[in-house]
Amino acid sequence: MANGKPGVQVSFDKIQKSFGAVRVLEELNLQVEPGEFLVLLGASGSGKTTALRILSGLETATAGRVLIGDRDVTSILPKYRDISMVFQSYALYPHKTVAENIGFPLKVRKIPLADREVAVRDAAAQVQLDQLLHRYPRELSGGQRQRVALARAIVRRPSVFLMDEPLSNLDAKLRGHMRAELKHMQQTLGITTIYVTHDQIEAMTLARRVAILERGVLQQLATPAEIYNNPANLFVAQFIGSPPMNVVRGALEGKTFLSNDAKVTVSVGGRIAKAVLGFRPEDCSVVATAKGAIRGEIYTTELIGDHTLVTLKAGSDMLTVKAAKDFTATPGEKAGVAFNSSHLYVFDESNGQRVR
Amino acid sequence: MSDTSYKFEKANRGLLERLFEPPAIGQMSPVAKLVAYSLLTFWSAFVIFPIYWVVITAFKDAAAVNQGPYYIPFLDFQPNLDAWRVLLSVDPFCDGYAIVRQFGLLAHNSVAFLLQPLVHIEPMEPQICKIYLSFTNSLVIGVAATALCVTFGSMAAYALARIQYKPKFGNIVIFVILTLFLIVATSFFDIPWYVSSSVALALFFLLARVFGKRFKATLGNGDILFWMISQRILPPVVVIIPVYMMFQAVGLLDTHLGLIIIYAVANLPIVVWLMHDFFASLPIELEESAQLDGSTRFGIFWEIVLPLTGPGLAATTLLTLILNWNEYLFAVFISTSKAQTMPIMVAAKNAGERGILWWEMCAIIVIMIIPVIIMAIVLQRFIAKGVLLGAVKG
Amino acid sequence: MNRNGDTRQPGDSPAGLSIRESWAEWFDRHSRTFFIAPAVTLILIFAIFPTFYSILFALSRVKFSTTGLRFRFVWFDNFYNEFTGSEQGHFLGRLEGISIFGWLFILVVLAAVIWWLYWSFRKGTSWVGMTGRLISAAMAIFVAFLLGSTLLSGNLWGTLLTTLFYVIVGCSIQFVIGTGLAFLCSQPIVGKNFFRVIFFIPLMITPLGVGYAFRMILDVTKGPFQPFWKFVGLGNWAWSTNAWAARSFVVLGDSWQWIPFIFIIMLAALENVPRDHVEAAQVDGASSIQIFREITWPQIVPVAVTVILIRMIEAFKIVDLPNIMTSGGPGIATESMTLHSYFLWRANDMGSSAAVAYLLLILTVVVCASFFNYVVLGQLRKAHA
Repeated sequence: MANGKPGVQVSFDKIQKSFGAVRVLEELNLQVEPGEFLVLLGASGSGKTTALRILSGLETATAGRVLIGDRDVTSILPKYRDISMVFQSYALYPHKTVAENIGFPLKVRKIPLADREVAVRDAAAQVQLDQLLHRYPRELSGGQRQRVALARAIVRRPSVFLMDEPLSNLDAKLRGHMRAELKHMQQTLGITTIYVTHDQIEAMTLARRVAILERGVLQQLATPAEIYNNPANLFVAQFIGSPPMNVVRGALEGKTFLSNDAKVTVSVGGRIAKAVLGFRPEDCSVVATAKGAIRGEIYTTELIGDHTLVTLKAGSDMLTVKAAKDFTATPGEKAGVAFNSSHLYVFDESNGQRVR
Repeated sequence: MSDTSYKFEKANRGLLERLFEPPAIGQMSPVAKLVAYSLLTFWSAFVIFPIYWVVITAFKDAAAVNQGPYYIPFLDFQPNLDAWRVLLSVDPFCDGYAIVRQFGLLAHNSVAFLLQPLVHIEPMEPQICKIYLSFTNSLVIGVAATALCVTFGSMAAYALARIQYKPKFGNIVIFVILTLFLIVATSFFDIPWYVSSSVALALFFLLARVFGKRFKATLGNGDILFWMISQRILPPVVVIIPVYMMFQAVGLLDTHLGLIIIYAVANLPIVVWLMHDFFASLPIELEESAQLDGSTRFGIFWEIVLPLTGPGLAATTLLTLILNWNEYLFAVFISTSKAQTMPIMVAAKNAGERGILWWEMCAIIVIMIIPVIIMAIVLQRFIAKGVLLGAVKG
Repeated sequence: MNRNGDTRQPGDSPAGLSIRESWAEWFDRHSRTFFIAPAVTLILIFAIFPTFYSILFALSRVKFSTTGLRFRFVWFDNFYNEFTGSEQGHFLGRLEGISIFGWLFILVVLAAVIWWLYWSFRKGTSWVGMTGRLISAAMAIFVAFLLGSTLLSGNLWGTLLTTLFYVIVGCSIQFVIGTGLAFLCSQPIVGKNFFRVIFFIPLMITPLGVGYAFRMILDVTKGPFQPFWKFVGLGNWAWSTNAWAARSFVVLGDSWQWIPFIFIIMLAALENVPRDHVEAAQVDGASSIQIFREITWPQIVPVAVTVILIRMIEAFKIVDLPNIMTSGGPGIATESMTLHSYFLWRANDMGSSAAVAYLLLILTVVVCASFFNYVVLGQLRKAHA
């Protein structure tokens, strides 16, 4: 919370979007809390960028309303919505210096030069660009360009920040560093931020809440912890987590999950002919065949460094288990999987919903 | 740290803004729409009108043309086929077989020309439907010139994109000196041209070898490219009189081959400029892997590079074809009867004593325009994809 | 693994084994030459050689005789003729009686050019650069002198200035209108492709046809605008007898034909401006005009100057339109230098014809090279630096 300026609430109210016959967004209902960092997470084609662009005003929704604060901005041009956007390609104007790039939103509003220079210097200082104000974008590195785009977004102190995969063009090491910078900056300024990405690590580390989209439908809206430990459906469960959650196909009979190679006691009951059992690699271990709830054989082992990743073949399923770093086994060896926590998830295969 | 937020206030929008601002991104404001559509419509009318006028004039008779403007067929005037009748039937032999006879004539004369050194075959006189003659001439010369131009041009462009050339400056100087010597010898001292040319050529190779080692200064690919492309700056008039003399000496005046050659040379710069850009932008790894597989350079060119520049090649070919189809200046100097192309026929309708036979002229123009419009529509599609843009940017 | 009975083993065809040399091998080894030789040979024989040969024509008086051509070497007589002799009025215009305005104009230009040279020298331009600038300066002063003596002094001007008129006025008009149309077509309008195709067509019609078409259309008594001419009281006006009207109509026809060229290239350039940049400016609140001025235009300037250069190079060669529409008349008012050369050739004065052709070449090279060096390179340097 900073500067005494409260953030504003942003709402998607029954937003739908079709491009011709193709439905890209199905009735999206989403409310972003004031000052919140919300991440729209999804694969390409999930509709996340479309939702962001509808929020910005660069696209018009086929149906529904967009509210910023308490104003209905659905049919208002972007410039009246009091928003800033950081594009994936940064969209820096190549023929303007860094200072001119940052100051452009103010120049457009005919703010006098003196005030402009002050604001530009402030914004540049916040992203540590003060020494580069007279350079051109082509002379800057990727990380520096990204910071120019950020500075341009914050120079105006808008009510809402929109970011469209701003870190995807950076290399891995820089990405990690910028993630921290971004999070710190948002917390300092306290501006409501909506951030689009396909990278689950960014979502988990940056967000206060994550909204997962798939094929235009909101799958789950919750905090990162909630999403990780309490996925609402099979898609979310498999999307989040690296390595991804293991799935075994079988049936649920009462409180037991049964398949050709598995017999597992679970905490939910029911009678589902086609069920899926899910568990994370870190919630299980490799044991002797007799002691395991799932039977299979070792496929490969990979030493990551601080742990070993063991892949087992159980019937037609490939399972991954995180084992200790000194674990050894030979491919083909028979082995079993045992569970060491209660983090077992059962899903109904017909609709992907979690069985509770 | 400044805390002010800079906003636009929608409430303060006046009438002016409502008129001039787009209602949403991706749309235009009412005023902008009005202005844009009216200007575009006006310009479309400006573009179409002359073409329309030419087309309807082709269907008018003498009276309809000379007695004041008539605008709409069937309403203002009765369209008739006077012009077409004159073009297609007043000339003798303008029947269906004329085209076949025309190609036969072309084949006969080409064979006669090729066998000239060995045996003399009497060339056939083109007493055939004039319009068919000029149409087939335009077609044959245009297509052949384009094929020649695009082939040689792309090969040269590819070579300049991939191979490093280092022509010696000294050799160029020797060449220029020998050229001047050749000109003076042939013109002032009446030495037959084949003698002086052979001597000059022989001298060139000799001197190049002797002095080659002395002068080390070399030029590069960029210079060669610039030289080729800058030939476009050369006004045809500078070249046309000597070319006339040269063709006369070799017997190429009023022949198809002569026109084909000169058309090809005129458009070579454009082909080289455009194709070089395409070739230079291809990733070299594809060709390198083909080289490792054992392909010859020509094989790489033919099998890998050309197919990859498909759209660019097509666009360049179409552009060259259109330029050759429309060419007039060279034709008027070099062709007299046998190798007449369509633009010459158009000009011939300016008959002098009788005044300009507008309707006949328009008929020929219509025949000329139709293939071009079709080609233009296709070409436009290529340009729309930004195919030729890269060349212009560089 | 032997699949098809293929018994080849790694190492069977060691590198360096010599294969019998075949045609293909030989061609490939000399592909350096064979690829570029045809084009170079054609250009050398049919472009470079005739250019040199033309010098001979330009420096002689040529007569036809029974044995062919007779050349009588007269050094630079033909050129002197154009500049100071009997052809001066035809080529340069009437240069007597220069008015006060004329002198003023000439002096102003002279001062500006000398200052520019001085400033370049002080800036430290290389010797090659200075030589180039001197040539450009000389040309500029010469043209200014001609303008001062003819246009500003009530005298008729000659083919040199007519050609420059076609090039400079024509290209400017064509560029402005062409870019304007391209800008309109790059907006979100319906029927964009339709307009594109329609606007592209005039470029593809033979200039001869365009000349005759416009001659027909502009005919005051029989053309389609006859009611209009009558309405404004010009029912019997023969525009081909009015120098400026004739010139303007030639430029009209030329523009009809060549605006599509500018249009098509500028449209492609406009469409290649990254959409991101425009959207970012829209989100930041810029209006359409602001976006065009600040974002779009700077990005298309390199293409713009290149397309102007290309258009200028072609424009210097204009011949068909003035020939067909007015035969160079009234008098020599619409005669371009190419047409001038053509008329001299028809009058069997081949020496002067070649001389005028060469002067056109020099004019084209100096103007285009100057434009290229000072404008195009400057813009490209800014864009790519």
